[in-house]
Amino acid sequence: MAAMRVAVEKSPGLSAFKPLALALLLVFFLAATGYEAISSGIDYTLVIGVFATRFLGIFVEAAPFLLLGSITAGLIEAFVKADDIWRLVPRNRLAATVMGAFLGLAFPVCECGVVPVTRRLFNKGLPVSLGVAFLLGAPFMNPIVFASTYIAFGFGPVFIGRIVITILVAVTVGLVIGTFAKPSATLKPLAQEHDHSHEHQASASARAKLLHALQIASDEFFEMGRFLILGSALAALMQTLVPQESLLALGTGSVLSVLFMQVLAFILSVCSTVDSFLALAFVNTFTTGAIVSFLSFGPMVDIKSTLMFTGVFRPRIVLYLILLPFMLNLLAGVLLNLALGY
Amino acid sequence: MTAIHHHDAPPQKLRIAWAKTAILLGMGAYFSWLIISGNLSNYINQRFAWLAVAGAAIFILLALVNVYSNLKRADEDCHEHFQIGWDILLIVALPLILALLIPSRSLGIEAVNGGISLSPVGVASPSAFQRDPLDRNILDWLREFDRAASPAAFDGTAADVIGFVYREPAFAEDSFMISRFTMSCCVADAFPIGMPVSAPAAPDFEAGAWVRVQGELKAADFGGNIMPVLFADSIEAVEEPRQPYLYP
Repeated sequence: MAAMRVAVEKSPGLSAFKPLALALLLVFFLAATGYEAISSGIDYTLVIGVFATRFLGIFVEAAPFLLLGSITAGLIEAFVKADDIWRLVPRNRLAATVMGAFLGLAFPVCECGVVPVTRRLFNKGLPVSLGVAFLLGAPFMNPIVFASTYIAFGFGPVFIGRIVITILVAVTVGLVIGTFAKPSATLKPLAQEHDHSHEHQASASARAKLLHALQIASDEFFEMGRFLILGSALAALMQTLVPQESLLALGTGSVLSVLFMQVLAFILSVCSTVDSFLALAFVNTFTTGAIVSFLSFGPMVDIKSTLMFTGVFRPRIVLYLILLPFMLNLLAGVLLNLALGY
Repeated sequence: MTAIHHHDAPPQKLRIAWAKTAILLGMGAYFSWLIISGNLSNYINQRFAWLAVAGAAIFILLALVNVYSNLKRADEDCHEHFQIGWDILLIVALPLILALLIPSRSLGIEAVNGGISLSPVGVASPSAFQRDPLDRNILDWLREFDRAASPAAFDGTAADVIGFVYREPAFAEDSFMISRFTMSCCVADAFPIGMPVSAPAAPDFEAGAWVRVQGELKAADFGGNIMPVLFADSIEAVEEPRQPYLYP
């Protein structure tokens, strides 16, 4: 493990450049929006005001979950030893991956919190297939989101479909990425560096460890928060620009509705703990398969989690992490629609 | 990013550490202000207000931990697991900057992007049907309309609703839609709904103005469809409600 870490090539320039590039992109979008607003006679300040409300709304809703995830990540860093992970993880890859899909039951995090936690677990030597299955599965496969889905939909096709599809997709993508990609080609150096802390951890007092955990948590908030914030801004921008009504016309059809709801889940970037309540808004307009795909795909991948992925995985893997779950969820949603007779 | 890690001059490092602390404290203050001022309801469903409370508490806790370790600063190297630069600080401070520069507002008419829905969103909650007609809000009414066998089922029923005025060029001179945004979790899923209003005084009210309309429902033509239209006996300008959204 240590040897691999040393072998990883580091590219300081590029990773420092990325957030700046994203910020520039955002400024460009804002300028374009502003220009369009002025040229079509709409009050520019009002458009900015709407953007600000949407952006702050998404941020205010998501930030507490990111904080909870960051604290979990800090506690893992301070209290979990790499040896523990090696002892607990099954040697069999399939068993390990399946375990990953269910690991959220032990670490209740949503999609804002799962990325920092996964990053820390990778840092402790977690196998890639298990980590990916955890990353994709945990935002739904945890007690909090079970509860919110149950409250919204009861114990029916949506609840069961969401569980089955999430497990299948998380395990499949975990196996694919874990089997075909080398860890060094999968993870960014940032996620692998600095595992030195546990060496002097053994002697540290519980109070010092806790302090250390909270320090890590606040670093983690900045490190992952920038992606959450840029993602919230992008999602708010899309919502301010793309007419909602024109999208809703696409609600019927066993394939198109699923496709559309997945794109919507990606754009809206709503937290997995509350997305069931949002999905309720669409049950009258959309097919059941589309609702289930919205609920399964959304927690796995959306604008803000994609940006957070780029802090952990190499660009090519990020692409796979978007496309594979998208295709698999689409397939599952369409099959569910056909089975239910839409 | 890590190349300069250990050669960074301590004062620069400390400045960044204090800037981080200030942002965390600022976030804590912002969340607390949202809760105390009631502006939180501009952004998220009140059902999830406890989240913001938890957020404020954690931000303040993390800020205090940072103050403590900035002052101690003994085990310097162990804490910085990645170098946080000014660019990251600026991005994370973005919500605070926006919150300072732009006054807190709910979504209003200018956020209507592509028309207002005449159909109810969400699953009808049973309690809505037991409400007295005069207590029904716009969402309750749309649900009622959705369930009814014919648009004429409500002819002669009195209604009393609050919302903002929405107009399209195609609307008749003496009509507008009285509208609200519904919100399930936060403004990300805010969705505008409305019901048609007809009144001789309709042109007196500007688009976007908050009004209370009292009147009687009657099936009539609106935009080429026969639907229940609220014929107003009185329209009065009102303040924006403390909870501007309707929660499905």
